[in-house]
Amino acid sequence: MADVSKNLKVYTTYGPKSARGTKPAIVAKMIEKAKRPLFVVGSEVLEEKLLARAQAIAKKGIPVAATGHSIKGFIDEEGVDAKYINIHFLGSFLCDPKWAGLDDNGCYDLIILLGHKKYYINQVLSGLKNFSDLKTINIGKHYTQNATLSFGNVTPEVHLEALDELIDNL
Amino acid sequence: MSELKTGTFSVSDLENVQINIGSIVGAIEKTAAEEGEVGPTVKPNISGLRDWDYKLLERYNPVYTPMCDQCCYCTFGTCDLTGNKEGACGINMEGHNAREFMLRVITGASAHSGHGRHLLHHLIDKYGADYPLKVGQTNIIAPNVQMVTGKKPETLGDLEGALSYVEEQLVQLLACVHVGQEGEAIDFESKAMHGGMLDHVGMEVSDIAQISCLEMPKADENAPLSEIGMGTIDSEKPVLLVIGHNVAGVTNIIDYMEDHDLTDKMELCGLCCTALDMTRYRTEGGDVPKAKVVGTLAKELKMIRSGVPDVIVVDEQCVRADVLREARELMMPVITTNDKIMYGLPDRSEDDIEDIIDDLKSGRDDGALILDFEKLGEVAPRLTQEMSKIRKEKGVVSLPTEEEFNELTSRCVHCLTCELECPTNLPISDAMTAAEEGDLRPFEILHDKCVACGRCEQACPKDIPVLNVIEKASQRVIREERGKVRVGRGQISDPEIREEGVNLVMGTTPGIIAMVGCSNYPDGTKDLYRIADEMLRRNYIVLMSGCSAMDLGMYQNDDGETLYEKYPAKFQKGNLINVGSCVSNSHITAATIKVAAIFAQRNITGNYEEIADYILNRVGAVGVAWGAYSQKASSIGTGCNRLGIPVILGPHGSKYRRALIGKPYEEDKWKVLDARNGETMDIPPAPEFLLTTAETIDEMMPMLAKNCIRPSDNNMGRMIKLTHYIELSEKYLGIMPDDWYKYVRNETDLPLARREEFLKKLEQEYGWDIDWNKKKIVSGPTSKLDVSAQPTNVERLCKEA
Ligand code: SF4
Ligand code: SF4
Ligand code: SF4
Repeated sequence: MADVSKNLKVYTTYGPKSARGTKPAIVAKMIEKAKRPLFVVGSEVLEEKLLARAQAIAKKGIPVAATGHSIKGFIDEEGVDAKYINIHFLGSFLCDPKWAGLDDNGCYDLIILLGHKKYYINQVLSGLKNFSDLKTINIGKHYTQNATLSFGNVTPEVHLEALDELIDNL
Repeated sequence: MSELKTGTFSVSDLENVQINIGSIVGAIEKTAAEEGEVGPTVKPNISGLRDWDYKLLERYNPVYTPMCDQCCYCTFGTCDLTGNKEGACGINMEGHNAREFMLRVITGASAHSGHGRHLLHHLIDKYGADYPLKVGQTNIIAPNVQMVTGKKPETLGDLEGALSYVEEQLVQLLACVHVGQEGEAIDFESKAMHGGMLDHVGMEVSDIAQISCLEMPKADENAPLSEIGMGTIDSEKPVLLVIGHNVAGVTNIIDYMEDHDLTDKMELCGLCCTALDMTRYRTEGGDVPKAKVVGTLAKELKMIRSGVPDVIVVDEQCVRADVLREARELMMPVITTNDKIMYGLPDRSEDDIEDIIDDLKSGRDDGALILDFEKLGEVAPRLTQEMSKIRKEKGVVSLPTEEEFNELTSRCVHCLTCELECPTNLPISDAMTAAEEGDLRPFEILHDKCVACGRCEQACPKDIPVLNVIEKASQRVIREERGKVRVGRGQISDPEIREEGVNLVMGTTPGIIAMVGCSNYPDGTKDLYRIADEMLRRNYIVLMSGCSAMDLGMYQNDDGETLYEKYPAKFQKGNLINVGSCVSNSHITAATIKVAAIFAQRNITGNYEEIADYILNRVGAVGVAWGAYSQKASSIGTGCNRLGIPVILGPHGSKYRRALIGKPYEEDKWKVLDARNGETMDIPPAPEFLLTTAETIDEMMPMLAKNCIRPSDNNMGRMIKLTHYIELSEKYLGIMPDDWYKYVRNETDLPLARREEFLKKLEQEYGWDIDWNKKKIVSGPTSKLDVSAQPTNVERLCKEA
């Protein structure tokens, strides 16, 4: 008999559309398929263990939008193409098809997010969800409803494991 | 009856004659006109400044980040607007969010002007409508009022007209929120701007009325210092805590205490802006403040839970809804004093003082509504003394004992529910573990970051009173919470503007950083200190107000000085000013208006657009509301925005759901006219936004410097501003900014010490042509340096447009 009574709890909600849960292997596939992925990192990425993973992801050839003061973790890293931008500005530009991107090579088709304050990134993603067709994936340790796909709420240990798995798959 | 024309006339020798005066508006208007030039927008209605708003909105695009994708305003709904869909009434997500933003702005503006109306009634009652307005050394008593309403108020009574205008406009704006009215986002945006402008008029009315009547400092650079912090409160004495924003009733308490020799025998302390205004009361001329400041809204629940207050008096705005429920647990009677907050308490305004005190001290009632301030003045201090004895006898304690604390920390099952509920996801679970092992440091760190909202407690499945645990663990740091805040000085004086205006417009004073607003910081209170200290050392003028002004005073440098003690408080480069409470924010916009009036000799009367245009293009000022949480903060910010002043919010500010951000890559948006001949001029993207957020203060530092750049900077000014922008970017982000070259018009704009290095970069990285013999830029810059150019966005202000 199908148990339809499970998992009905909603905490606070932004509305009817919610991010689907996702796994590292799926994220890796989506990044591979994307033509213009952008890896958007926030200041919380500067925590040592997280930073090592973020740099490793960047070194797989994905351009980095370093928001907050996260750029500090990417300066002089070989094989990393990182530029500073304010995330509220980035959120605005990403909704504009005329924007040429951080490198003048055109707008992006997939946004991968890591190291952001949960409430802050949820707001930025809410703009993208409502006013753009972009696909967004949050690979941070908090579930963010407004992404297209998101990791769930996980402990720091499980989170690092998931990131390692993602790096291995890229 | 015969009609009187405007002018003066005298009536004498009348007997048994009744004179009815309906309205003397005409006469006042005549007065204003006689004062000199009057601009085209006296008391603009909702659409009066729409053209100006459209100009701003064309460059600074609304960016919506909804917090709820549904609308439930009317019974057609609930409508799902996800993806900018339309609801049943035809409004789309953009329109709905713009509507909500506007509603937020007019809610804030109403809070300030409602406060102003209450104060004005009270003060006119007490001092009379003819009481003269006195705000310090100035010929422009009320710059916002004069610019918007076209009138120069001189008496308390004159302020009524300005406030009536604000109230009428707010009703018109609120009407637009009704379903089936405005449909387009852009016009909701223009209306929001209107609401923001009104807010500064309402705030100005409130503050100049109280400054004039309540002997507050008047544009005084030597305003005294007041004590601040939970650690300054002597809990051995009876403690009376006041919470809110409206100081009217509290002045009666202070007077009673002085008259009855109670000032040293009990503690009168406050939270939020009432606290700031209590310290301003009767300190004109440098007298010692008559009360202490506990801190901001974030200290409300913490202070109550400390068990220290014996009685709580609340007035209006930013008062927690559960004060009565919380206080009841701890035998603290609550007195409400304003009909905006009554908590269901019985109205005792007409009752006998002894009866009220008896009912409260016996616990028959938890609190009372007292709208009669004379009565309040006596009841509150007397009751405090009685309750102090009773509560000490009963041994009322609030925070857990050592044993209870140990039991609570070991009860935690580390399910993380509290952390997911906490607005900033604070690491509570790890702190519980550390505390169990005897390490309280993680909780002490949490104490500063925690805004005492109580959500964690509501969520904990083990019923752990998390906030009490944090506070118990932090007793050591709480005792050390002692600082100094400079008492709010009100306006900036005319002589100060006369001296400093030229430096601001030329850019040789790199800018004004106005740190305003509430205490919902992303990472604790010390960030404010870091921002102010950095910018002061760089010679910016730092203006403070409200909760930010308080928190800044909580930190000392290595010499044991707060920044208020370290930096002088004149309106000039490298000085630190506290203008005052929430309503004193109007003096910040007023200072920029006065630069236009005094330095540039522009007419401000009824001349909003020209003044805003002047400020946008020439006055390098940036507002920072790092912990903004309230609707009032959104109206203050929006009022700044319409006047051409950009504002940066902390990350929680993204929850206002609307920013105004320019696109530096859209070259056609960064052009202005030269008012001398109407020719188009290229300008750099500055300011780049009118409203945005930053994630951390490290990110914000270079943003501050960059967005103080204005087209009018002379070469020395631009060089100074650009130097700070580059240095702050290097210091806090570790990089040379990638847009620095856009702000270079010729070689004299380049930082002097590094001119050669930058010329090389311009040649190699940006392909500019450099004459190396003369060390000059031959070609490359998009904007030209012309110190006598008069940048404007308004065509009608051009001579040969
Ligand atoms: S106001 Fe419009 S969008 Fe909102 S519930 Fe009513 S019909 Fe739906
Ligand atoms: S919700 Fe309660 S039990 Fe769970 S981690 Fe937080 S304090 Fe511990
Ligand atoms: S009271 Fe403090 S710790 Fe608890 S949820 Fe609120 S901010 Fe977080």
